Amino acid sequence: MIEEPYRWVEAIANRREYIEAQLASGSPIAALGYRDGILFLTLGQTRQKIFEIYNRIAMGAIGHPGDIERLRMAAIELASTEGFTRSAADVSLRRLVHYSLSPVMKSAFEQVYGAPYLARMLFAEVGERPEEDLFLRVEYDGEIATSGATFAQARNDFAALSGTRQSRELMESFLKAEHAPDTSFESALRSALDAWSVGQMALQTGDTKEVPARTAVAKYRREQLTNTGIEAGILERDPSRGIRYRALLDKDLRALIHD
Amino acid sequence: MEPLLVRLDQNFAGSADDFPTLLRRKGLLGPPAIVDPIPGAGLKQKGWEPTEATTILAFKFSGGVLVAGDRRATSGNTVVYDRADKVLEIDRHSIMAIAGVPATAWEMARVLEHSFQYFRRTQLQEMSVDGKVRALSKLLRDNFGFVMQGVGMVVPIFATYDSHPKPETRLYFYDAMGAQFEVTDYAATGSGSPAVRGILYYENNWGAKSLQKLNEDEAVSIALRALDTAAESDTSTGGVDRSGKVYPLIKIVSQDGITTLAETKIAAVFKQTVA
Repeated sequence: MIEEPYRWVEAIANRREYIEAQLASGSPIAALGYRDGILFLTLGQTRQKIFEIYNRIAMGAIGHPGDIERLRMAAIELASTEGFTRSAADVSLRRLVHYSLSPVMKSAFEQVYGAPYLARMLFAEVGERPEEDLFLRVEYDGEIATSGATFAQARNDFAALSGTRQSRELMESFLKAEHAPDTSFESALRSALDAWSVGQMALQTGDTKEVPARTAVAKYRREQLTNTGIEAGILERDPSRGIRYRALLDKDLRALIHD
Repeated sequence: MEPLLVRLDQNFAGSADDFPTLLRRKGLLGPPAIVDPIPGAGLKQKGWEPTEATTILAFKFSGGVLVAGDRRATSGNTVVYDRADKVLEIDRHSIMAIAGVPATAWEMARVLEHSFQYFRRTQLQEMSVDGKVRALSKLLRDNFGFVMQGVGMVVPIFATYDSHPKPETRLYFYDAMGAQFEVTDYAATGSGSPAVRGILYYENNWGAKSLQKLNEDEAVSIALRALDTAAESDTSTGGVDRSGKVYPLIKIVSQDGITTLAETKIAAVFKQTVA
């Protein structure tokens, strides 16, 4: 069947549709750079979605737990062996994603007799200064989106991941308007919670084109926080320590949310 | 050719190896050394001499565990280096101090450090203290073939803070085959250790206070005196190089993590109570 080029294109399109449908319910994850590091945040307690990969690298992912696990292990393996043989400073997120993860995900996606990876991932690497932070989003087909400046857009010091493209884009436009680089942790935490709310509202209502009003976002966030836990982790900028990742506890974060 | 590091294993089964196994699978770490590489060729004549030229010590005091090591590295009769770090941080709460061949010891420390982190990252939980102690034991065991061939002997001390089940500091010393011994008060290994063990035993039993009751300054003072004593008769131990101002390296493990004592602080205690 897939010997004919047209059939192959059709098979790929079907596969894309299938994967998008599988991922559509994935709860959003926001990653925000702030003065002293990078914050990863999501809500929900069903299973862990934010992970430490290496000294300066963390990952958030939605998708099938088995696939996330395989990719996460592969990323940790690669980073650890390279950090061991060379040095921690030689482990770079850009190389990890561009040379290792993306090609594998692309070929798994395009070999239509095999199983693709049902996963969408968001990576961040903390730099010495906020402008050196790197955010990369990797799609199930190996496509990579970066927060870096391009001809079409200025550099962003945040990134979002969600079940649908529309939900993610709303989170991004919200963060573009609300999140200032070089901000404090408290303010980054607030923006991250609101960005999550924007993304989750879009997933539920389905067809919103506009970012909801601030009051609606705040109301939704408060409702969600009463019955769901916060999952969060930070990559600290502090150069005096090697290992920068630290998971944050729900109760510690709640103490910082006023309103 | 150097093995390609950045390659993803598509047949990855899902469960993580321990880190040394992973390194071996990728060809980045040699296999465990065999005891008798050429059968019948010669261990009998050789009769291995333990070379563990240095002195390291550790004891529990009121503020945690103090771990100290002199700074001298020797090769036979030659002093090669006078600023060697033999007290190595493995993670936020663990210290490995080494007596023995530096090349092997530092490599072991590196494998160990990465093993603990690799475990935490893949398994999403901290390795237990027993697991950590055992990991070092296994590295020593794998290395024993080299020890028998007369190269690569390492005799470490491992000090850590255990928060579970009972919050307390824990202290171990090892022999070259990998047996671990947990101690309640103090440990010392290396060529200068007999003198140090004598001092610590004496202080612990008949000193003004037992070791566990000492405050930080008193503990530092005893560590410096012990190393100075060891250096007095052991050429392989640096002790305190008074003219060069090279002081021993002292680190403390406690609930709050690891503190490295500033050289100025050590110098002050030294001038007041030792010199």
